[in-house]
Amino acid sequence: MLDKQSTNATSAKIRAMYADMFTIDNYRELMSKKSVPDAAEYLSRHPGFRDAFRETDPNTIHRGYLEELIGRENFETYIRVIKFQGLDKQPFYSFLLRKNEVMTILSAINKINSSLEVTALPELPGYLIKHLGSRVLDIAAAETYSELLQILKGTQYYKVLSKVPLREDGKADFTECELRLRNNYYAGLLEQAEKGFDKSSAEELKSLILKEIDCRNIVNAYRMKAYFGYSADEIKRRSLKFSGIGKRTMDRIYESEDGEQMLELINKTAYGKNSPDTDNIEVKINSVKIRRLRSVLTNSTSAAASVYAFVQLCDIEAANIIRIIEGIRYGVEPAVIESQLVTL
Amino acid sequence: MGIERMELVNIIGSMDELDEALVRCCDSGCFHIEPAFKSEQNSTVKLLNEKNPYEQPMKAFSAMAAAMEVALEEADGSGYEKYHPDDFEKLAEDIENELSEYSRLKIDCASDVSDMEAAVVQINHLKGLNSDFEKIFSCKHTAVRVGRLPADNLAKLEYYDQIFFFVPFETTRDYCWGMYFCAENDKEIVDSIFKSMYFERIDIPEYVKGNADEAVKKLEEQISEKKKETARYNEEIIKLSKKHGETVKKVFTALRKKYDIFELRRKVGSVKGKFYIKGFIPYKEGERFDKLFEDLDSVLVDHLPPDADAYCTPPTKLKNNWLTRPFSMLVEMYGLPKYGGYNPTSFVALTYTVLFGIMFGDLGQGLLLFLGGFFVAKKFDKRAGGMVSRVGLSSMIFGTLYGSVFGFEELLDPVFENLGIDFLPLKVFKQTNFILITAVGIGIALIVISMLTNIIISFKEKDIEKAVFGCNGIAGLVFYGSVCAGVVGTMMFDVKIMSTPFVLCLIVIPLICIFCRVPFAAAVKYKQWRLSEDEEDMTVGGFIVENFFEMFEFLLSYVSNTMSFLRVGGFVLSHAGMMLVVMTLMEGASAVGKPIVLVIGNLFVMAMEGMIVAIQIIRLEFYEIFSRFYESDGKPFEPISVKFSADLDAE
Repeated sequence: MLDKQSTNATSAKIRAMYADMFTIDNYRELMSKKSVPDAAEYLSRHPGFRDAFRETDPNTIHRGYLEELIGRENFETYIRVIKFQGLDKQPFYSFLLRKNEVMTILSAINKINSSLEVTALPELPGYLIKHLGSRVLDIAAAETYSELLQILKGTQYYKVLSKVPLREDGKADFTECELRLRNNYYAGLLEQAEKGFDKSSAEELKSLILKEIDCRNIVNAYRMKAYFGYSADEIKRRSLKFSGIGKRTMDRIYESEDGEQMLELINKTAYGKNSPDTDNIEVKINSVKIRRLRSVLTNSTSAAASVYAFVQLCDIEAANIIRIIEGIRYGVEPAVIESQLVTL
Repeated sequence: MGIERMELVNIIGSMDELDEALVRCCDSGCFHIEPAFKSEQNSTVKLLNEKNPYEQPMKAFSAMAAAMEVALEEADGSGYEKYHPDDFEKLAEDIENELSEYSRLKIDCASDVSDMEAAVVQINHLKGLNSDFEKIFSCKHTAVRVGRLPADNLAKLEYYDQIFFFVPFETTRDYCWGMYFCAENDKEIVDSIFKSMYFERIDIPEYVKGNADEAVKKLEEQISEKKKETARYNEEIIKLSKKHGETVKKVFTALRKKYDIFELRRKVGSVKGKFYIKGFIPYKEGERFDKLFEDLDSVLVDHLPPDADAYCTPPTKLKNNWLTRPFSMLVEMYGLPKYGGYNPTSFVALTYTVLFGIMFGDLGQGLLLFLGGFFVAKKFDKRAGGMVSRVGLSSMIFGTLYGSVFGFEELLDPVFENLGIDFLPLKVFKQTNFILITAVGIGIALIVISMLTNIIISFKEKDIEKAVFGCNGIAGLVFYGSVCAGVVGTMMFDVKIMSTPFVLCLIVIPLICIFCRVPFAAAVKYKQWRLSEDEEDMTVGGFIVENFFEMFEFLLSYVSNTMSFLRVGGFVLSHAGMMLVVMTLMEGASAVGKPIVLVIGNLFVMAMEGMIVAIQIIRLEFYEIFSRFYESDGKPFEPISVKFSADLDAE
């Protein structure tokens, strides 16, 4: 295992790359564009995406492909970072590859359950094939649940999914699959963080992972409560089993009577304090998360924490850009788009 | 020498003579215009915010010049002085009528060429296709699509049912160029499959015939034909440009002047059918300025003191003699003094010249700089050349003192021996300590002079805080002078002058004065005890913390600014050292190589060392000297003028 000092170069490299990320001024400039080609042209000039858009024609590029290119650039950046000092040889660092595997499996299950006789193949980002191998294509092309399990045989995912009870029609409940796969993914991640690094790095990393889980659980819980009126038990059942702020606090949030009360309780936690005053729960929670990620990126000496935080920041940046492009496409006012961005 | 005395001038007249009045103001070359009023709401004077009527004809003539490939340059536009905007538009229309047909045809041809060249680029990606495009696209039962597919998605193709086949031609990093075929009945499904993979279709123009190679060949022939056609239209346009080119230049010159003068109206006010122009002129130009308006009956020129209008700050025009004038560019670079303030050009000229001579002392190189300065002044920039000549002269003087001629350090020894001057020439490497100590001594002297200058200026401005209690005032001067005297006396002359009364009176008390400069100055000025000038709520604690850090900065600046002058000595040594290297290299060279090494070495040292020394002195002037007494809050005197420019956006 590499010691902490020997991976300082990775942390420094990430900080340098962080400087090229979008600032609020960049977002505003992008929002001021009147059409998707104008936005594509702007992105093709930005240092972070210049290379990704080198061969594209802003006037003809499909919006979906434009979004895929943003994802591809972020993924390639992640690959470059972990290969920079040979970190890819450590199991923890393949976290994004595993996450994409999980996402592909979930996408396949979703399509199988949709009864539309379509596969997840069209939605599979092409750039993943190179890194995840042809099995990912088999997964995306699966037409039945049993076929999917057959493809996954011999992998950790088979163990997880084979335990999911099947419905009468031979299909598995999507929420159940999602919960099990995500729990398995985060459990593996926490275990690798614990075993693969020294104490301080492991603690920093675990804190980052648990906060990510908290944010996910809180956002989902609020949606389930405020929009669908789910009971506390239902919310608990559909939430990930890990927690950074403590099981008791999370339980209290789940047990709220309505969305308003839940929001009040959230505001008392670390995820609500100093968060922007907005009704958009995702923006509210992620604004706190992004602050923490930036702090890790600028202060941490742990390469693992830096990589993990950087990948999440890249995801948020990509989500923001995609939101802006969608906004431009549908003629949404820049002020409205800006209110939906996570930029704090 | 100082700052040019100004006077405020109000020009009032009837509106029909406004343009002529503005022309006269421009022609005077000494009128600095100011907006006629500060706030329109509180004024009876109204803004002349009319649309410039010369804009459209000017744009038209500019476009015409571009179409005829006529380079717009200043010409005699006096023949069109009486023209009105309508007359210009009529003239533009007449020429445009002749030009437009050929212009349109040329643009159409260029557009066709552009389309065909784009098609060639696309078809080049399909090289390897040996079938005729026409035949392929005319298939009745087979649908064909040509285009490019993201290369990442190529692997997906195998996973779809084989109701199509894709023929790749060329694969780049991101895209695979090719075409797919499917049954006409399946084309909707297949199109949607390819659409989901972001396949970008390319429309092959109808005029593309044959296979890819043949199509490219044919297209290139057509492009060549079109280009010949374009050249023919171009010839016609050139004929027209010969016929009308001169007229276009003359008209554009006249239009540009009229446009620019009309733009000046934005600063002119109007009141009761009369115009009102306000501005400054140098006092000495008053009479000449009045004469310019004598023949304009309705125009009245009113002269007032420069401070007559509270809303207008008089501009600053530096007044310098021929010797110091070139150095005004350094003062302007830093920022001009306010009107009535102190003009530091003479001080800069003197210190810059002396410091340059000390740091770059060489008789031969100095002579080259002196001559080079004349050349630069004549050919490029008068002020830059003037500066180079003056510093070159100083370099020659100090070079003589060092006995250095193009790096030959012993060349002048016999001269001094014959004259019986035994302490010269100064041998740089044998008197290193003397040079470094002298450099610091020069620094101390310059800092003291700067402080004295600040005291005089501040007393003139009745600023007690700066003059008496400030770090560059009397308190600062006493403190700095005493510390320097104490250190020099104790360390160099072994005179123990740092006695308790000396320290208490000349070091501690001035320090207390600097620390409490704000309350002391307020006590003198307002006869009351205040911790801050603007009556803010300043607590004692806040006052102590703020002033502690400021004191720390002051003390640090005394030391760092003094030590900064070590670089003067450093560069004397560095210059001599570099020349020593040149001499050593020359000695090692062959007989033929020696003069080459000498010339190249001297040129290299002159270029590099000269530039570094020039920059370092600017740094010393700006940071160590100017920061002690100079405030650059003046605005430059900018007489209005109309300068020809072919650029429509130029102001």
